[in-house]
Amino acid sequence: MTVVALAGVTRVHGDGEAAVHALKGVSLQVGEGELVAVMGPSGSGKSTLLNIAGGLDRPTSGTVHVDGRDLATVRDLAALRRRSVGFVFQDLNLITSLTAVENVMLPRELDGVRSRRARDEAMAVLTEIGAAALAGRFPDELSGGQRQQVAIARALVGERRLLLADEPTGALDTLAGDEILRLLAARCAAGASVLLVTHEPRYAAWADRVVFLRDGLVADATDAPMASAR
Amino acid sequence: MSIRHGLLALLSRGPRHGYQLRVDFEASTGATWPLNVGQVYTTLARMERDGLVEPGESDDQGRVVYALTEAGRAEMERWFTTPVVPSDRPRDELVIKLAMAVAAEEVDVAEVIRRQRTATMRTLQQLTRAKRDSTQGRARLLVLDSMIFQAEAEQRWLDHCEAVLKEAR
Repeated sequence: MTVVALAGVTRVHGDGEAAVHALKGVSLQVGEGELVAVMGPSGSGKSTLLNIAGGLDRPTSGTVHVDGRDLATVRDLAALRRRSVGFVFQDLNLITSLTAVENVMLPRELDGVRSRRARDEAMAVLTEIGAAALAGRFPDELSGGQRQQVAIARALVGERRLLLADEPTGALDTLAGDEILRLLAARCAAGASVLLVTHEPRYAAWADRVVFLRDGLVADATDAPMASAR
Repeated sequence: MSIRHGLLALLSRGPRHGYQLRVDFEASTGATWPLNVGQVYTTLARMERDGLVEPGESDDQGRVVYALTEAGRAEMERWFTTPVVPSDRPRDELVIKLAMAVAAEEVDVAEVIRRQRTATMRTLQQLTRAKRDSTQGRARLLVLDSMIFQAEAEQRWLDHCEAVLKEAR
């Protein structure tokens, strides 16, 4: 089953002479349980792609479907993001005045779930990812890697099965970064879907499929079989 | 490095016979450097000639057990205290190939880079899968990590080449 599907997506910022074509016609699908990495240099359009896939931005043309729903027909994108799509960014993911478990509960509480149930759900997902021991700690009592673990838990709490990650390993050393990818791959094996944007080959390599973005277009992907010509 | 240095290191853990050394060697290097038992015995014979190892008793299956000598221990120490220099490594075929692609006429260098980048990423994916599934010891994991870092460096270098050539166009 396809969880997110972009078809012929373009995104133009500004108009006339000053128009910037961030995406020039990108089609991309992420299936259930799949980890897909988008690689590209800065300015290749990869963050724009991620924002459009999660309804943080709208395409200039083309369509985006999340869980089979055309985002162009969704009025309340914020509700969709709370219920269907989780985001993890490079940093500034957590609210510093809340404990880890309170951070994870937040999207559920905003969605009207009672506090007690939201806490149970938050503890369940923290336990699933092996981070239950961090529940009572504040973000500044956590390492960079632990903060990202909590951010991932928050992105997956409740019914959400689609996680969009923009350089989630950006501030981490390679050991902590590998652990984050190990966690994301494990969540995919358990049925979640992840679209990961990164410029680092070592993290992209954890993906089932790697898509190379260049100047707003998909230049290549690792899913087509290709003979080695070394 | 030579096989003999590897064998010296393994023998520092105690006397071993040839077959055991071959198994240990492959377990430590993650089978990135397969040896046949003949190579091991030939190398041991030369090391014995050079005074680096000495044969001891045969075991019940008639296999000779080898042990490090003082000279062998000194040679191992020398090896570990001397950093590896680039000339110890073979030339990188990809580097030469890309240099030639730039030098040659009628070669679409961007296409060479694009194909290589995808192939290198596939290698990186395979290595990462092997690392993810590995239940073996630390030596083997670190060998995999080394190959991952090398593939990653190659990938970065290819991106760099692409950017430089794009700039020049």
